[in-house]
Amino acid sequence: MITPVRIGAVLYDPKVAVIWDIIGDFFEKLSCSIEVVYFSNYNLQVEALLNKQIDVAWNSPLAWLEAQRQSGGGCRAIAMRDTDRDRVAHLIVKHSSDIKALADLRGKTVAVGAKDSPQATLIPLGFLERHGLRPGTDFQVKRFDVLVGKHGDHVGGELEALRCLQRGEADACALLDLNWNRWSTDGTANPREYGILATTEKFDHCVFTVREEFPHDVEREWLKVLFSMKYDDPKHREMMDMEGLKQWLPGRTTGFGPLAHAVEMDLFLGR
Amino acid sequence: MDENRWTLRVHAVSKGPSTVFVRHSQFEAGEPLRFDPTYKQVTALEYLLSAIGADLVGGLQVIARRQSLKVTEIEAAVSCKLNNPLTYLGVVGEDGHSGVEQVAVTVYVSSEETEDTIRQVWDEVLKRSPLVNTLKPAMRLDLTVKLVR
Repeated sequence: MITPVRIGAVLYDPKVAVIWDIIGDFFEKLSCSIEVVYFSNYNLQVEALLNKQIDVAWNSPLAWLEAQRQSGGGCRAIAMRDTDRDRVAHLIVKHSSDIKALADLRGKTVAVGAKDSPQATLIPLGFLERHGLRPGTDFQVKRFDVLVGKHGDHVGGELEALRCLQRGEADACALLDLNWNRWSTDGTANPREYGILATTEKFDHCVFTVREEFPHDVEREWLKVLFSMKYDDPKHREMMDMEGLKQWLPGRTTGFGPLAHAVEMDLFLGR
Repeated sequence: MDENRWTLRVHAVSKGPSTVFVRHSQFEAGEPLRFDPTYKQVTALEYLLSAIGADLVGGLQVIARRQSLKVTEIEAAVSCKLNNPLTYLGVVGEDGHSGVEQVAVTVYVSSEETEDTIRQVWDEVLKRSPLVNTLKPAMRLDLTVKLVR
């Protein structure tokens, strides 16, 4: 019997398990069985990866950094979604406000997502810091700690930040570009009323992570199956749409700079 | 044969649905619980809810008939809340259990009878129901009846 590759995934909603069921079936059909192990938060998943309880972790960018920190750089990023690359976060303001440049946020309130959300908290706060605006000193931060531990996978905190801006309780809010695109077209936010004040530098998001010693032949086989998913194939498309990608790509680590900066600046209040 | 005992058999192979054999009938049952709305089988949890609904609808039908009451249609809307469904998936770090915490049933009765009459029948249904009497000590049951003209 071939030992299945054990994949770790953080689950914020039981419906996410459906995606993994489809992925599991796909791998099984191509004779590369996987066993998915679910975790309630990324800390437990990183711990399990480093303790060899799982082989591959579907890590958030913050979990990637944490795995690298705890292992002394002993992990490898092997694959990611096309949509994990070159993401940005926006700072959203009301068009009618007097905030026309980043400097105008001085003395104001910025609503952000959960304290461990790279896209809706850490990277935007790091961005403002680099532009001379120290959170808590030069502007107030209103944080929405929804499902902390899941690194902002759950958009609840981010949506609360937007709602806070809409209620007039904040002057700006931070949103991932994909969420702004969605919410400004589905009626959640009126683009005639709200718009982008500034955009962060590009950053990368989730990444399949393995320990350095993960056997290369197993990795090659596993990636061969993963990369064989084609968006053009209707059978694969359903899962790819659910997971929000059109193509699996090799992992890269060049896009974690903005988040690493935010963590170094001690903006990650969860530690 | 013990008159207070009911038996059936459930059989499965390595993959796919179970087959339930009940007296001279049989039906298929899926996994205990699924979160995929497109899943083709009826799950064990859904069978439990179906059984509760059928118990109340069938019970009301039987008692109304015995009392020669005019009931044209009965329909039950059944829902339940689990303590923590993530524990069923074995999510590491989740607390609680996968058990049912609360079941809510609303039974709609289309009848020419008075509300009082239907209410009396309903009370009798609840008093006699095998499933209500089984589940009552174990979970919260919100059971209501509504008369529809």
